[in-house]
Amino acid sequence: MKGVLIRLSQRVIWGVIMVFVTASFTFFLVRMMPGNPVDAKYNQLVMQGLTPVQAMNKVRVMYGFIPHEPLWQQYIHYLNQIAHMNLGQSISYEGVPVLHLILTAAPWTIILVLTGLVASFIVGVLAGVIAAIKRSSPVGSAISLSGSLLHGIPQFVMGLFLAYVFTTLWVLLPFGAPYNAELTPGLNGPFISSLIRHAILPVATYALSSYGGWLLTMKSSVITVLGDDFILAAEVRGLKMGTRVRYIAHNAILPLFTIFALSIGFMLGGSLFIENIFDYPGLGNLLLHAINSRDYPLMSGAFLLITVSVILSNIATDFLYSVVDPRIRR
Amino acid sequence: MSVENKVEDFSTPIGVHVRNLSVVYETNQGQIPAVNHVDLDIAAGEITGIIGESGSGKSTLAMALMNSVSKPGRITNGSVIVDGIGDMLKISNERQRRVRGKQIGFVFQAAQNSLNPLSRIGHQVLDLGRSHQVGDLRSLLRHARDLLIRLGMDADRVLMSYQHELSGGMRQRVGIMFALVLDARVVILDESTTALDMLSQASVLEIVRELHQERGLTIVLITHDMGVVADLADRIVVMYGGELAEEGPTEDLLRQPQHPYTRGLIRAIPRISGNPDEAIALNGSPPDLQTFAQSGCLFYDRCPDRIAECQAGRPIYKEISDGKKVACYKVDRRD
Amino acid sequence: MALPASKLDPPVNQLVVSKSNPSFWTSSWRIIVKKPGRVIGFIIILLYIFMGLFGPMLYPKQLPIDPNAIYAPISWKYPLGTDFEGTSNLALVITGARYVLFAAFMAAIFTVVFGTVLGLVSGYFLGFSDSVIMRITDFILTIPSFPLLVVLSTVWNFGQPVAMGFVLGITGWGGLARAVRSQTLSLRERGFIEAARSLGLSPMHILMREILPNVGSYIAMNLLLTITGSIYAEVGLFFLGVVPFQVNNWGVMLNLAVFSAGAMSSAQALPYLLSPMLALLILTLGIVLFLDAVDEMFNPRLKEV
Repeated sequence: MKGVLIRLSQRVIWGVIMVFVTASFTFFLVRMMPGNPVDAKYNQLVMQGLTPVQAMNKVRVMYGFIPHEPLWQQYIHYLNQIAHMNLGQSISYEGVPVLHLILTAAPWTIILVLTGLVASFIVGVLAGVIAAIKRSSPVGSAISLSGSLLHGIPQFVMGLFLAYVFTTLWVLLPFGAPYNAELTPGLNGPFISSLIRHAILPVATYALSSYGGWLLTMKSSVITVLGDDFILAAEVRGLKMGTRVRYIAHNAILPLFTIFALSIGFMLGGSLFIENIFDYPGLGNLLLHAINSRDYPLMSGAFLLITVSVILSNIATDFLYSVVDPRIRR
Repeated sequence: MSVENKVEDFSTPIGVHVRNLSVVYETNQGQIPAVNHVDLDIAAGEITGIIGESGSGKSTLAMALMNSVSKPGRITNGSVIVDGIGDMLKISNERQRRVRGKQIGFVFQAAQNSLNPLSRIGHQVLDLGRSHQVGDLRSLLRHARDLLIRLGMDADRVLMSYQHELSGGMRQRVGIMFALVLDARVVILDESTTALDMLSQASVLEIVRELHQERGLTIVLITHDMGVVADLADRIVVMYGGELAEEGPTEDLLRQPQHPYTRGLIRAIPRISGNPDEAIALNGSPPDLQTFAQSGCLFYDRCPDRIAECQAGRPIYKEISDGKKVACYKVDRRD
Repeated sequence: MALPASKLDPPVNQLVVSKSNPSFWTSSWRIIVKKPGRVIGFIIILLYIFMGLFGPMLYPKQLPIDPNAIYAPISWKYPLGTDFEGTSNLALVITGARYVLFAAFMAAIFTVVFGTVLGLVSGYFLGFSDSVIMRITDFILTIPSFPLLVVLSTVWNFGQPVAMGFVLGITGWGGLARAVRSQTLSLRERGFIEAARSLGLSPMHILMREILPNVGSYIAMNLLLTITGSIYAEVGLFFLGVVPFQVNNWGVMLNLAVFSAGAMSSAQALPYLLSPMLALLILTLGIVLFLDAVDEMFNPRLKEV
């Protein structure tokens, strides 16, 4: 257990460093931007009739640092603000704290991504096992091909396709918005069923776009494990089929943990498309909105939160991995 | 698994009878006959040593005894009759499974890797027990503990360990425990002690001998080490190129080896007491696809005593005296 | 001494035929024609290369518009229909291929160069350089690359395909670097590097002549996978509209079809949406089918079989 804790704390330290680097990256990105949006905002406020002091204060609240200060002082200010969980104020939603905006948006993204991830993981892993066991039969090749092809289809094509087929061509499911706006949000039946009905297509898009990856990885992992000596030994010792399958599955699934975190990053990237196509008020849409409206504090905040989610899931999967694999526990 | 039954079980050792068994390996260059029309009786309650170079087909033969030849190998022909059970190649898959592990224990060449790396040894003993309908799992664990102690290990620690926490030699002994814990009547040891150092090899073999005497086990000892079989086996079977070259009672075979290959093997044993220069390595290399395609004796290319006849056809494996068999034209001539 | 003359006799059965070593191209060709799927994949890829190289030359610089054929249905004159101005969708797809494919090609080149060099250096020299490079690789792999691209689009001018390719390359080399490193490490474990060193070969020679060929399969596979990945990323950027439209390409078509032409709800604009999608899907299919052949071409283990 001690080994696990040491490993965990190493990961946490590394995660903090990554957050720091990401925050610095967005800071310099915005400062180095052509036309310097910080100074531009300040000038604009002065033009609107604010005194330089007022304008300065306003800009500071937005960005977390004061224009006209030397760069390194701005940087220190900015990091200090972030350390206190203050990500500045949005420009497009005037006066609203960035943290508030991203925390409101985050659940929409996280719930959809996690549901899609779990669904694709279960189906993909099972299909991968079948594809590996039946790899020399037509069934196996068909499953593998389905994996390669779905793996190859970009998320936006998948999303557009599903949206078109199930909402336009064959009006089966609602399109756009996370729920029917006529219903009152709350714990009532119609609202919840509307939520679920609206979520089916985006979740399916997430799931289908990562299904192939799980399938192909699981397939090759199972094939590797099938060649291991201990599986032959289990057969020669007359272990039951069920027990042997359990041995194989347990050993084969471990390598998938390492790509779990990567896949969360991939899915969060996909949220930009999927939330855009299905009009969900999640993080992806927020980031897009921020970029289109040149709302840089919001952009930095949303990007930071997406990165932090990936880092956290990285740490979580790494922790889980060291729990399920005794070889790492030392 | 009832304790009372054990005594009864031990009184009737089980023999294995191989008839006309053939195994081929499918490769791109063609079929390699790994085991070629082999007839062999493994006598009940005896230790039979099967010896040969690597690639002689002895491990494949061992796997074929349990009908567990793995791809690309395939049993094409023959039967393996186990006393009281029937033909391993014909009985239902479920019965085969129950025989494996329960009646026939197998210790691997790579027994270091024969354990599930993600599960504690004790759990794997329980998995084994559940697979073979052992009612009293607690006594099974106790049995495993006793065996581990006999094999010279800290049994409680081992049962709580994962594979990676044990050394290579310890894993090998754990592999032996797995083969014995269900009181198998036939135990096949496939190069199981080769990876061990000399001292542990000797102690493990000593334990095998003890268990054999106590329980009347039928043991098949597969090795390339003439010293090991000479020390332990009641009978020795010499394999070459997937075929049997010679067999006979240990003493006889060592004293009067008939087949030139057997003689070569014996000469190749270095003796600690003697002059190391007397040990003579066997020349040439084991048969390859080309050799199998030739019509003559498989050993022809390497044989110091070959005669014209040897190139014409394969010698027939037949009995030359009571309990002794050999496949060699030169021996036939001498008679 | 006991080695008989028969060893020298001509083999009775020529099971082991050692063919004269065929050149890389002939053996590659043989591998491709082995399966029909590979041939189809190869043809599709050739077609796209052709489209990227010569596509824009087939049409006038300013594609003709036809006010009488706005959203025209599929016909002989307009095999894929027309867009909101009455321009042939087929012409749009063909002329739009160059930017997309060229940028993806550049991205693949950058990825392979960064990934291979860093992976080799990391796995060969180990020690300090290895830990630094691997930390950076971890970082690159962890930061979600598409959101990063979107954020970068605020400062970076993606108008030039090379610029697009460079950014895609610099954000995407992590996986390859890791694969090359682990392959180098496994060669090291097998005593490969030690043996080469003891022969007095220089590190440069060992890296270039001994190790590089052994990681060839990873590089070739990655080259193709990076090309598809990059195409999706750039088309995605244009689709989302975060990159200004300077040239016509598939992503721009998708964006206009969905967000301006309302192709999701109006059936007449559907061909405009489907044309670039079709272009993407056929290319994906081609690459998936061809990857199989690439695997065999470069994977020495598969080759022997």
